[in-house]
Amino acid sequence: MERRVIEILSSFDNAYETCAIGNIAVARGAIEAGVNGVFSYPGTPSTEISEVFSEIDKYQLNEQNKVKHPEFFRQKIYFEYSVNEKVALEKAIAFSIGNKAAMCVMKNVGMNVASDALMSITYQTIIGPLVILVCDDPGCYSSSNEQDSRYWGQMASVPVFNPATPAEALEMTREAFKLSESLKLPVIVRMTTRVSHTRGNLIYGKRNEQIRTASFQRMPEHINIPARTASAHQKLILKLQNELFKDYFERFNVLRQNRSKNDIAIIASGVTAAYTSELLHSNQLEAEIDVMYLGLFWPFPKKQLSKFLNHGYSRILVLEELDPIIEKEIKVLAQELALPVEIYGKGFESLKASGEYNLELVAKTIAAFSGLSIIEAEYKPLPDMDTLMGGLPPRPPALCSGCPHRATFYALKLAVPRYQSEMVLCGDIGCFGLGALPPLQMIDTINHMGMSVSMAQGLSAAFSHSNNAQKVIALVGDSTFFHSGIPSLMNAIYTRSNILLVVFDNRTTGMTGHQDNPGASKNPKHNQLDVEQLVKGLGVEMVTTISPFELKDSFRKIETAMQYDGVSVIVSKAPCIFLPDFASAMPEQFRIEVDPGRCNSCANHQDMDIACSRCGSALGNLSRAKAKLSAGHAVAGSEQLCPANICNHGFFHSILEGDYKSAVEVVRDKMLFARSCGDICHRPCELFSSAPAEDTVPIKQLKKYVSGIEENFIDFSAPRKRIEKAKIKGKNIAIVGAGPAGLSAAYDLLQQGYEVSIYEKGNAPGGMIKNAIPNFRMDKKGFDFEAGQIEKLGAKMHYAKALGEQIHLSQLQSDYDAVILAIGLGKSKYLDIISENIPADQQFDALSFLYQYNNHKLKTKAGSRFLIIGGGNSAMDAARTAKKLDPANEVNISCIESFDDMPAFREEIEHAMNEGIQLIPNSFIESCKTRDQALEFDLFTFDSKKPLQKLQADYIIMAIGQLGDKEALAALNPECFDEQGRIKMKKLEQSAQNIFVAGDLYAGNHMSIIGAIASGKKAAVDVRKLLETYHFDYEGKEALERLNTKQPENQVAFTMSDQEILKNIENFDLYQSCAKCNHCIENFGCPALVMENGQVHVEQAICTKCGLCVDVCPNDAIQWVTVKESAGKII
Amino acid sequence: MYDKGSIKMLIAGVGGQGVVYTTNLLVEAALLAGIPVATSEIHGLSQRAGSVVAGLTFGEKTFGFVQRGSADMLIGLEPLEAQRCLPYLNRGSMAVIDTYKILPFAVNAGKASYPDSEQFESYLSKHLAVVRFIKDIDQLVETKRRNIYLLGIASTLKNFPLEGKFIEMAILNKSSRSDQKNAEIFNLARRIEKEKTSVHE
Repeated sequence: MERRVIEILSSFDNAYETCAIGNIAVARGAIEAGVNGVFSYPGTPSTEISEVFSEIDKYQLNEQNKVKHPEFFRQKIYFEYSVNEKVALEKAIAFSIGNKAAMCVMKNVGMNVASDALMSITYQTIIGPLVILVCDDPGCYSSSNEQDSRYWGQMASVPVFNPATPAEALEMTREAFKLSESLKLPVIVRMTTRVSHTRGNLIYGKRNEQIRTASFQRMPEHINIPARTASAHQKLILKLQNELFKDYFERFNVLRQNRSKNDIAIIASGVTAAYTSELLHSNQLEAEIDVMYLGLFWPFPKKQLSKFLNHGYSRILVLEELDPIIEKEIKVLAQELALPVEIYGKGFESLKASGEYNLELVAKTIAAFSGLSIIEAEYKPLPDMDTLMGGLPPRPPALCSGCPHRATFYALKLAVPRYQSEMVLCGDIGCFGLGALPPLQMIDTINHMGMSVSMAQGLSAAFSHSNNAQKVIALVGDSTFFHSGIPSLMNAIYTRSNILLVVFDNRTTGMTGHQDNPGASKNPKHNQLDVEQLVKGLGVEMVTTISPFELKDSFRKIETAMQYDGVSVIVSKAPCIFLPDFASAMPEQFRIEVDPGRCNSCANHQDMDIACSRCGSALGNLSRAKAKLSAGHAVAGSEQLCPANICNHGFFHSILEGDYKSAVEVVRDKMLFARSCGDICHRPCELFSSAPAEDTVPIKQLKKYVSGIEENFIDFSAPRKRIEKAKIKGKNIAIVGAGPAGLSAAYDLLQQGYEVSIYEKGNAPGGMIKNAIPNFRMDKKGFDFEAGQIEKLGAKMHYAKALGEQIHLSQLQSDYDAVILAIGLGKSKYLDIISENIPADQQFDALSFLYQYNNHKLKTKAGSRFLIIGGGNSAMDAARTAKKLDPANEVNISCIESFDDMPAFREEIEHAMNEGIQLIPNSFIESCKTRDQALEFDLFTFDSKKPLQKLQADYIIMAIGQLGDKEALAALNPECFDEQGRIKMKKLEQSAQNIFVAGDLYAGNHMSIIGAIASGKKAAVDVRKLLETYHFDYEGKEALERLNTKQPENQVAFTMSDQEILKNIENFDLYQSCAKCNHCIENFGCPALVMENGQVHVEQAICTKCGLCVDVCPNDAIQWVTVKESAGKII
Repeated sequence: MYDKGSIKMLIAGVGGQGVVYTTNLLVEAALLAGIPVATSEIHGLSQRAGSVVAGLTFGEKTFGFVQRGSADMLIGLEPLEAQRCLPYLNRGSMAVIDTYKILPFAVNAGKASYPDSEQFESYLSKHLAVVRFIKDIDQLVETKRRNIYLLGIASTLKNFPLEGKFIEMAILNKSSRSDQKNAEIFNLARRIEKEKTSVHE
């Protein structure tokens, strides 16, 4: 910086040759002219001009510099970044009226803001010279339009210089000061992006050493009143006809005319003059075409051009970017002169009034105009480029790694339900406008400076008039807020608008290269305004400052501000990464890395071909990320595992997104019985969780709720599609038994392309669930529907086929590639003491009691007494059924186990007890007899064998377990059976290779719907391992083993209604890593996060260690690591 | 008759890679060498990870403008950005291109694919007189100094408009410790390239 200041403030005595951009040339020109004060609002492409003066200002503020280099203090230059262009120009005008040389610097659209000041001062007077430096932007590289500032010269009646090169920029700026002082009129120097940013050779010249003493002279011209304006206008017009222009025209409008009379000529202005000059020179055509380069185009040099036109050309080409301003003047002039000359301009070849011209376009135009050959023929472009140039991915600018704006946008994205509503976000000018692009896409409108605040309140007003009132969000950068947001904010407060204003306060004017603004001045001579205090002072009640990297806090505060009815303001305050304050926050010994085991990897499967209906949308993962941040209760997915391997994480998050259909699909990825499990599952996913009960997600209740929605429930199109698409294996599988185990095995095998035949001894599918679960406990129609799907999905059903009778195992073994036995335990155990002593019409086994009940065949007397023997789930079912028959029935349960050891699930026991059923644990029937049709029992304690109580009953139901049908399985080696007649799989494997077992028949398997489903799925995996080269274990193994071998520890019970749970659902999170993620890429988009081979890694050279991505990753894959831990790589 | 008295050069890369810094160095070196120089940004914001291309012209009556087919030399700091500049090259052009990829967002997000490197490299090898692809320098040069390495390689090529010593002087004129290191990298690249060339010739 110091070097640049010294260079530009030196070399006034000896000509110094350098190479600099047009904007630096302008600054030097102003310095050579003796400028005393520069006022500006930063804006590309003008900014570098102001930056020179900002640096000089800072240099000159340092007293030590003065001691070292007094020569750089000879010309003291006042500088400020004003609050906006209007104030800048007003202050520059005043500075001039104080008899000082002033310059005001801005970009094209800045003139719109400043124009109020320009349009009247011309009718009055200035004192010291005043040059307005405005940079246009043909091609709109960095502007919201490409308006042509040359019109201001015409409209305000002020001279306009239009340099073509950096060298001209220096000279014209310097001379503009002289002209301004002579005319007492502001003078515009109009640059364009190309000239501003092109670097060319320059010669630094002498400085105007005139000393100006500040003064104010009272003059009538300083008071603008209507009585004086009409005559003032005429005076102004006369100023532009001043004789002194003749010399300026001669000097800046350069004619290259040849003695031999050329028939054609070019008039070129601005950068097109440089293009023309280069082309005519390099093609050695300078003698062939006459040229007029117009540098001072306004006031229009009529005399000079009349002379030029009178040369007698037949055709003239006018080259100027943007509007045909010169072209029209020339046409008018030719008309006045009645010259038979054809004038070519806009519309000739590809000359347009829009976009930037370039060397190539000008070359083509001149070639077409002159018929002369120009350069293209000399170059041989590379051949067959098309395949290499087609579809190259674009690389638009993006918010930097560590940018606080991204942090604010991300917090907004979490807090503002943009996807689910018509929420409108009105953006504004600045770096943060990049938030409109993917992946953030958090801006719906961008207009001109400060419009966001007006757009939001205008839309809000429009909505309120059409009865869909909603809050509208305005987003504005700190500098823009000061520039023109404040008046609009005052309007919003005063009109009671319902808007949220978010001020993106990155402590600088970022987009244009980090200039000061009133809220963030690093200049010690300036004050600094506090946005929050200012907003409060204006009367906003709901205003809060956030630090956007504190994601959780930011998110909550934005949510609160959104709920406020009226004007609420959030000031998001954190330094731009290019400010020193940002760097100091970086922890040196740490860096951020991605754990590949968690990034985009599924915690539910290893076999990634297993169906997953989780959609993996950007929105879906956004809700996962939001849950990570906002949920009051969070539990790891590994705590809530399902023996059927249902992805509870995917299920829960589909519900969180409000996509209940997807939730049902996630269940059906694994099994048929979504609704039935919602009814009667023993919910191992909840009861085996070691997380605190209050964190546990009510999977079962949610499952019941979502599968209760008929439309989703009846749709089996997804599994059907999977079956249609499955690769046909050409293998046939026989499944014996159409209970939940057999049907589940069939469901999985069908989806893997197997042919499945199911043999069932009854006449319908459903097995024990259909027959033995009391109808009042579940939706049996729903169950029948789900069980019935298997036939529709392609399984061949064979009813009334009992094993050992109509069908035989050995036959199946030879007819099929594999056999799955899932015939359950069809026989009940009996107690001899009952069988022998109680009349047949007063005793039941639980299975037949429940079967008769379910099929409406049960006949018992009302007001009866029941004794149920057994402590398992069917004992509870039988007991509750007995009570259901008549609430006046007295029901007792006797079991040998102590209360704590009863095998029935706790909830079943509680249901029974709540219904008034008496429990007599640790008891057995020592003796019984019948008296007057009443049954009398002597109960003894089971542990000490002492008398306990006498009990009377009318009916006794034995629910002491079931036995397998050994006769049906007589073909098997007797060693395969345990004492209950269940099959020990290990023994079976040794004797029969292609027979598998599932459900209750499988020794040790949990006797429940979920146990049956899981074992059916496991059998399907075993079949695949046998018949294909499939090597994955059953993925629900861990949860199934836990269900089979352990007692649940978690006693969680849910008492909330479905609606209450859904209302509170955002307070829960069930998290685990998910393969369908990409969240950081799709929703966050830090350039340091790079996707390679499906996984994200951190590009260390780009990472600024802001650390936000650690909070963003819903997979918890992005982590801080200490540098020495990570693999050494040069960075 | 076309007068080719000038040399036109493009420097292409991604915001943050040092396109602007490299351009500045060459301007300073040209001033030191007394060669007329001009530059023009073709497009781009120097920061914020977008495409950046700068044009340099050496010689009288040029203004930094490089039109299609007219670049004598391309320094590509990133392969995709170099590929984007193909229309500016001609059969006589020379190119030095870093093969270190920086994936644009669209590629990251799976919405577009990065162009095939092999195809690009074999195309250039076939059609350009002189082309160097910079590979396997991860262990040699820090990421942020790769631009200097490329400049070192480029400066050894025939017809490069500036002598190496002026570039080195320009680097050292910046006078910080980092610049000393840059000068070392610059000379290392020159040495490696010269050794390679002498082996080939």
